[in-house]
Amino acid sequence: MDLDDYRISQEPYYRMVGNEADLFEAAYADRMPMMLKGPTGCGKTRFVEYMAWKLGRPLITVACHEDMTASDLVGRFLLDATGTVWHDGPLTLAVRHGAICYLDEIVEARQDTTVVIHALTDERRILPLEKKNEVIQAHEDFQLVISYNPGYQSVLKDLKESTKQRFGAISFDYPPRDVEGEIVAHESGVEAPIASHLVKIGERSRNLKGHGLDEGASTRMLIHAGQLVGRGIALGEACQVALVLPITDDPDMRDALTSAIAACA
Amino acid sequence: MNARQRPDFLKLVAAKADLPDGGALTDEARQAFPDADAARWLHAVRKLSQAGYGQSVVASYTKHSVTIARQVGPGPAIELADLVSTLAVKSGRNAAELLPAAALQAAVRLKEDHRLRSWLDLIERFATLAPESVTPLLERADRLLSTLNLARFKAWILAGVRSGGGDAKRRLRFFTFEDPDAERWLQREAGEVIFADIERRLKAYLIALWRIRAPIREPAPGGSPQSCRRTSFGRGLIRLPSTFSGYRGEQAAEIFRASLAHVAAHFMYSGPKFPVRSLKPVQVSLISLMEDARVEHLAMRDLPGLRRLWLPFHIAQPSGAFVAPNLFARLARALIDPTFDDPDGWVQKGRRLFFSREAEWENPEICREIGGLLGNDLGQMRVQFNARTYVVEPPYRDDNLGLWDFEDQAPEDREEMELLFESIRIEQQDEDDESPPDREREEQEQREDEEVNRASVSTQVYEEEGIPVARYSEYDYLTGRERSEWTTIVEYQPKPGPVNQIDSILDEQHDLVERITALVRSARVSRPQRVRRQAEGENLDIDACIQAVISRRLGETPDPRVYATFQRRHRDLSVLVLLDISESTKDRARGTVSSVLDMERQATALLAHAMAGLGDPFAIAGFCSNRRDDVRYYRIKDFGSPYDAMARSYLAGIEGGLSTRIGAAIRHAGADLKRQLTHRRLLLIVTDGEPSDIDVTDRKYLVEDARKAVNTLAGEGIDTFCVGLDSGGDSYLTRIFGRRNVAQIDRLERLPERLPMLYLRLTA
Repeated sequence: MDLDDYRISQEPYYRMVGNEADLFEAAYADRMPMMLKGPTGCGKTRFVEYMAWKLGRPLITVACHEDMTASDLVGRFLLDATGTVWHDGPLTLAVRHGAICYLDEIVEARQDTTVVIHALTDERRILPLEKKNEVIQAHEDFQLVISYNPGYQSVLKDLKESTKQRFGAISFDYPPRDVEGEIVAHESGVEAPIASHLVKIGERSRNLKGHGLDEGASTRMLIHAGQLVGRGIALGEACQVALVLPITDDPDMRDALTSAIAACA
Repeated sequence: MNARQRPDFLKLVAAKADLPDGGALTDEARQAFPDADAARWLHAVRKLSQAGYGQSVVASYTKHSVTIARQVGPGPAIELADLVSTLAVKSGRNAAELLPAAALQAAVRLKEDHRLRSWLDLIERFATLAPESVTPLLERADRLLSTLNLARFKAWILAGVRSGGGDAKRRLRFFTFEDPDAERWLQREAGEVIFADIERRLKAYLIALWRIRAPIREPAPGGSPQSCRRTSFGRGLIRLPSTFSGYRGEQAAEIFRASLAHVAAHFMYSGPKFPVRSLKPVQVSLISLMEDARVEHLAMRDLPGLRRLWLPFHIAQPSGAFVAPNLFARLARALIDPTFDDPDGWVQKGRRLFFSREAEWENPEICREIGGLLGNDLGQMRVQFNARTYVVEPPYRDDNLGLWDFEDQAPEDREEMELLFESIRIEQQDEDDESPPDREREEQEQREDEEVNRASVSTQVYEEEGIPVARYSEYDYLTGRERSEWTTIVEYQPKPGPVNQIDSILDEQHDLVERITALVRSARVSRPQRVRRQAEGENLDIDACIQAVISRRLGETPDPRVYATFQRRHRDLSVLVLLDISESTKDRARGTVSSVLDMERQATALLAHAMAGLGDPFAIAGFCSNRRDDVRYYRIKDFGSPYDAMARSYLAGIEGGLSTRIGAAIRHAGADLKRQLTHRRLLLIVTDGEPSDIDVTDRKYLVEDARKAVNTLAGEGIDTFCVGLDSGGDSYLTRIFGRRNVAQIDRLERLPERLPMLYLRLTA
């Protein structure tokens, strides 16, 4: 089985902020498991896509959630007319056929789920399928990448020390002002002045992190606002739709954000 | 007065003769009361004069009723007489004398007779409800009606009556405006936006714009009435008027915002304070004005939208009197509004000077130069400047007190300078007292404080002596046996400390508190959890089904529990926090100015905040020891009691001293926890050093005893967890509590942050 559906054919847009691609490539050369840290919407997923494209590997992404069990990752027996049939989970698929497996927001998954990756992420590089009584030796191209948002939840939901220490990590943050402007301009198609404007707005909202907002506006949100502007919506209204209303339900915070946005232009 | 009482003509003539002080039907009165009304009016006057309320009451009525009649017609003017006598009876002559004048003012404002009648009815009703407060009300009636319409006036009066309860003195305080509630209600009724209503969003606004987190307060109490008119800042504190009168609704919110943005611009771009030295008041004002413009322009470079915020408040016109305040306002507008065209040479010069130095705007010194020049010009133009009456315009700008340094002034100079700010002055000393603007809360706390103090007085003896409450055995590792009844726990009444200390800890650690609150919120909500492999449930557990089929194929008996269901799990635990307050906690934490105990106190305050938020039953206690027969135990908060001002003040009042006989304290705390009926019981110990006591020389002895105590508690289903503050404490703490039950805090200053987090993780 090849993983053609998981291959990325076109170069995804990714604006390099530092030397993260070099770091990642070096880590991939040794198939070192990687952890991408950073707030939501700052480009972690896009970066993985870009690297998968650059390295020419298929990419299997799993969005982790609270209810996810180990068999959701590894695979399970299903019933059919003749009896049971084994169905590989996404992780098994990647391990067998040599893809980059990207576990998005790994902390959301329960801790007992995450330990299935342990044997994969040390020098053994094996995935035991106990239900099937099989041990898979990882394909040589296989690499595990996880994303991890060290936000508020991390106190209640944190990775086990033993899980954390298997990974190398690259830290992501919202890019510097001009770079972020460039990204917003490219992705949303607005003119550079409007993009830099949106970035300024984004910075104001990030000032409120921890003072009423759990998280400031992400680059993704700014792009959304830019897209609306590109469709002819006035800037203030676009920011309301793409930024203020989604980010908080608190009327005071909305007011503060709206006023701050007004001050920016 | 009505038609029934209308006197006949003869009586009317007779009445005329009776009238005192020539109150006969003057021409004026004849005009105001045509025909039959004249008779009724005269009758009313006579009745008043015969009632013996005094000459002044009658005179006041005769004088004002005529004008009232001219304003709104004779009807209410005549009826007024009845109310005058009612007030004279109920509230005294003074009120009766005031009423006609007040009614006249009301008539002028209300304009129509039926509305004046309603007003009169209202006063009559008020006289029944609160006779003692009629005089102060009438004295202020005009001012009230200037801001309130009749319905709101009524609402305000009723609010006052209600807030006083049955207490005449409190009502009087309200209606004389001694009670700050009166003003607040007035503003509320007037529909004005009060700062308190929008405080939170304004603070967030400042943080969003510039990450400025300055405390914002209302003007210091006891300031001049004008101190309420302008914003002021200094020493990192902003004082905003509680309301900007004349601005309503959205505009009122805008002016608060404009004002804060302006002050924030000073914070961001104003340099060190200007020394006043020998500057004249007019120069000081002009330099301030220039500085205002300078910081606003710098702020607008970064945030151009601020111009839209500030500009609407610049309403100066290029006309009007040739006096300083007018010129200043025009100059202020000329400096911010490019479309503003002022023909005045002085204003033009100011604008030219300011914009010609655009490249140097970063430098505050240019304001001194330009302001000084303009001040001299003004002197030559012989334009008078009255520092006493000058108020900064437009109103969103602050009084600029925060820009100036008066320190090295000779006293007389200083006096002169203060003149400038007198009308808008705020004593800077006041800024040190961070009194919350909310009086009610303050008073309540005061009361609570008093309660605490009373309690401490009544238990003075108790406090000093302590009461032996229990004896516990101690374990001797050498003999491997427990020595029964070896230690004595003596409970001491904790000393109350300042409650505000705990509140200010929470204030200072604002960020952390917010984070903890967010965490608490998510921890408190009981989440639905999927329970698998159930004998019955809402849906099939696919895994279990498959397992069952597989088992059947293998010829095994399948497990019938193939259902899954959702359940909500609730928190069910109680916690006792045991603080080590031995002598060593007085030491300073490395790299900080606070002692270990201070850190413990901070951490506990934050933790208690979290626990109170979660609703977990919790207790806090402190311990230290002085030989085996005096293990001191301070109950800061018990399980049953609320986490109130009393508990907080005990927490604030804990003091370090003596030694650390931890085993006995653990046993005593455990005995408390044992009585809790929750599923989980947790003993959380914060300690900074090795167990020790002056009557024990063997270091290992108390460690082994504590270990034994912890084990015993574990046997009783009580979890013990220790937070160690001694970096070298690894060996003995793990020995006592077990490796998994110890958290070492390497950097003590992080304890306040770590403790609540640790707790949440332990209990998640």
